[in-house]
Amino acid sequence: MRNLGPLLLAAALVATVPARGQLTCGTAPLIADGNHTVAQVTGQPPPLYCTGGANAQHGMWYRYQATEDINLTISTSLPENAGVDTRIQVYTGTCGNLTCIGGDDDGGSVYLSVAVVGVSAGTTCYIVFDDRWDDDGFVFNVSSAPGTPWENGPSFTPYSASGHNALGVVDMNGDNMDDLVSVPGNTQVLLGLQQAGGGIQSQSITTPQAMYMPSWSFCAGDINGDRQNDLLYGGGSGATFMIREQDGTGFVQQGFPQYIFSQRTNMVDIDNDGHLDAFVCHDVAANVRFMNDGEGVLQFIQGGLGETCGNYGSLWTDINNDGLPDLFVAKCGCDAHDRMLFNQGNEVFTDVSAQNGLLDSHQSWSAAWGDFDNDGDMDVFIGSSTNNNHKLLRNDGNGNFTPVAATFPETSGSIEWTTHDFDNDGSLDIMGGGRILLGNGDLTFTTRVGAVSNGPVGDLNNDGFLDYVNGGTVHYNNGNENHWLRVVPLGLLSNTNGIGARIVVESALGTQIRDIRSGDGFRYMSSLFAHFGLGPDTAITSVTVHWPSGVVDHFVDLAADTVLVVLEGSTISTGIDDTAPVGPALHPNPTNGLLHVGLAGEHRGGTYRIFDAAGRSAMQGRLLTDVIDVSGLAPGTYTLQVTGVAGSSRFVKQ
Amino acid sequence: MSRSLRTIIALMGIVAVLVTCRKDPDETVPPGPGTPAPPASPVNFDPANGPHELLSTYNFYQGTLAQLQPVAGVLPYALIDPLFTDHALKQRHVWMPDSVKAAWNGNGGLLDFPDGAVLLKTFYYDQVQPGNVRRLIETRMMYRWGGEWHFANYVWNDEQTDAVADLGGSNTPVEWTGTDGLLHQVDYRIPAEAECGACHKEHGEHAPVGPRPRNMARPYTYADGVAQQLDKWAAEGLLEPGHPPAVPMVDWQDGDAPLQDRVRAYLDINCGHCHSASGYCNYRPMRFAWEETTDPANLGICVEPHEHIDGQTHIVAPTRADRSMMYYRLNTNEISQRMPLLGRSVLHTEALEMIEDWIDQLTPPCE
Repeated sequence: MRNLGPLLLAAALVATVPARGQLTCGTAPLIADGNHTVAQVTGQPPPLYCTGGANAQHGMWYRYQATEDINLTISTSLPENAGVDTRIQVYTGTCGNLTCIGGDDDGGSVYLSVAVVGVSAGTTCYIVFDDRWDDDGFVFNVSSAPGTPWENGPSFTPYSASGHNALGVVDMNGDNMDDLVSVPGNTQVLLGLQQAGGGIQSQSITTPQAMYMPSWSFCAGDINGDRQNDLLYGGGSGATFMIREQDGTGFVQQGFPQYIFSQRTNMVDIDNDGHLDAFVCHDVAANVRFMNDGEGVLQFIQGGLGETCGNYGSLWTDINNDGLPDLFVAKCGCDAHDRMLFNQGNEVFTDVSAQNGLLDSHQSWSAAWGDFDNDGDMDVFIGSSTNNNHKLLRNDGNGNFTPVAATFPETSGSIEWTTHDFDNDGSLDIMGGGRILLGNGDLTFTTRVGAVSNGPVGDLNNDGFLDYVNGGTVHYNNGNENHWLRVVPLGLLSNTNGIGARIVVESALGTQIRDIRSGDGFRYMSSLFAHFGLGPDTAITSVTVHWPSGVVDHFVDLAADTVLVVLEGSTISTGIDDTAPVGPALHPNPTNGLLHVGLAGEHRGGTYRIFDAAGRSAMQGRLLTDVIDVSGLAPGTYTLQVTGVAGSSRFVKQ
Repeated sequence: MSRSLRTIIALMGIVAVLVTCRKDPDETVPPGPGTPAPPASPVNFDPANGPHELLSTYNFYQGTLAQLQPVAGVLPYALIDPLFTDHALKQRHVWMPDSVKAAWNGNGGLLDFPDGAVLLKTFYYDQVQPGNVRRLIETRMMYRWGGEWHFANYVWNDEQTDAVADLGGSNTPVEWTGTDGLLHQVDYRIPAEAECGACHKEHGEHAPVGPRPRNMARPYTYADGVAQQLDKWAAEGLLEPGHPPAVPMVDWQDGDAPLQDRVRAYLDINCGHCHSASGYCNYRPMRFAWEETTDPANLGICVEPHEHIDGQTHIVAPTRADRSMMYYRLNTNEISQRMPLLGRSVLHTEALEMIEDWIDQLTPPCE
């Protein structure tokens, strides 16, 4: 046995704190680097669980003051603690208003803990050891090393959103802010609506009795084009759709009796007809797609998009930059050969799995697709579900992939892998396996050791930093100095969510891309908005939205830290003076037939002209009433001018 | 199914029949002295024509169908350790054409069933409310033809007069008074065809789970008295005679058996069909077949789980059921976390208590 004498002696010397001071936040003793002894965990429990996981009964409190920017390591992983089971929470702030900056449960030997946090000069942090597992005494060590506080990446503060065990973070009321969506029972959808001034308001909606629960996965999107997001429940015996009624009050079920052992679900316009279809991975048979007839009625079709079993993590994104969403399926178990299918249009797909090295029995439940080197195409991190043998593949821009020599020794296997920019530095990060891999923007990553659990991701406090939800707890991103942009697509010719749109943002930092997706990772539904981190950039050179319809919208010279709402076709040049004052107030827009011009009676009898997207005259006539019948126009974006009325107005004919 | 695949299956069937015919004269065991020749089996099943629409059409049973009284040639059997399926009771039967018999394939191997063999398993509950009556839910059937196993399933009608072919999958609520005197409820799952294959699959091919000598080597009370099942099978011409002595697993409910053996037996029948090298979940580290769990690592002792569920550090963490993924998964009904994934929607409390007792007495710590 090792000689523990000096260590124990050191612990005894340092532990000169008041005997009972550790029992509350307010009386937490100030400690310095070195060893400290906890006799038993008997004080007040922590108010927040930075580690996630079940609550504790008691805690022991300490304070630490940073005199310079440091990385602080708090560890119980010491030989003398063998057999003890600890958990650590670390906060900044004041006792009445604590903010999580880190924590750990089992990062040390066996059940011992090692928490590493960044602390700025002059900041006091609170360290709490809780008794979730046991209240036995132990020794802990604190050590600091100079470093910038953000070296350890983003940190999150948990907030208990009681009852909102959210499967989705998606805007459910059209206010361009993400909301929480959960399914507490088979006749209930519970929304947590983000309020403009902050906070979350619950709204419970009774649904028809769900044929299947979203036990395996969940996704959302507007199937019937009424600008209300509908829900897809992926259950163990089948899949069912909850179609939200146009007034938002309730849901109508579109259920299917066919057996599906559902895994990942997605909504995507597979045939690019402007209407969302859906896709369901099948664990034990061929994959299923649900094709939309244009009226929101779905048809069950099995086969053609992966015929063998073992389908776990599907994701639709434009892999070969041809404007159509392609399909990747992470596979595991009975046929562990991942599938990559290029969408050729008209529901024709080409299997390019073999040439991209996917037939190697890599056991994966999900893959993170993003432009990790910001060169304008989607690269992929295929996460292993069994160990740290993850695959990182670089896209050459045409959907040809080469393996990147990279190892991730600090990671483990996980069924969930997603990518987002959590620290807004302009480089995509990867979340999975209880870790965040911080992207360096060049297909390399720095593993941030710290407890995060995958869940749906979005901005739940409208601060421009991405938050996540896990187990009824919202983990609010503590943010940093970096800048950001949120793009909210409003499709007109394309599906209303703009799912499948490619959004390109240029700033001094470089060029970044996102595809709007419904359903990534394995289980959850993350925001349908495109979130960009901009690092130090406060100005944006341009934003370009490539819609599934082929329409391209282009914006220049925008400020950062804003929400850009893009109505499809709204920037199309018509050759007409777009800067002119506002013209007629058209509605409905888009329209199928009749267009109300919205002008006072004195304009009756005047003439109007309608121009198509290329600026050509498409229709003209006399305004005899306030209504123009445009049913004869081909679908597209048009501009209306009325004689004697300044400016012009755009509308979309569906 | 493609036409070519059908053709192959049909051809295999013809080959099998030819082989059978050739073997027949040599292998038919003449009745022993004093044993009357068994009556010809009235069973009506030609697997070449596929399954019937009604269970009654097969003539597997005589008298009132719901009594499941087997006709000549249909033999009931039972397992030492049955799979837990939401407390459903089960009655198993086997039938084979007179000309064929199963072959021994090792103590732990599935009996090597011949073409034409039929395995039947009827799932039912007693003291079903209201009425406190027996309710037969479904009769699952596996039959071997063309060298492959095929599924059929028969869902019993409300009148309990017959069961109708249905491989679509459905749920049916069942409420019954248990042997504990308490009212129980489940939303019983009748599997779809592809669902059957999730558990009944070995090396990618459909396969039975139960009929292995180690799980069949027990006495059974037949109409004509008690006999060892495998001996009876041999005597009835269902199993090639002269098989080696079978070594039974322990009965997991046998409180006199060593605790770890009871756990191993429970894991074998409930988990081993997926968690084996040839099973559906072979990419996870556990190996739960009875022969393999003599190795503590195959039981998951001190093995870290692949998937991260809060606080579960090992598949089995000695003395720490609260840190053991095995206990966690057996102790939850959450569909995406529970184990087994299929066939269970309520907790098997008695088994959980045994697993907890077992974990408590293992020796910590893990390295």
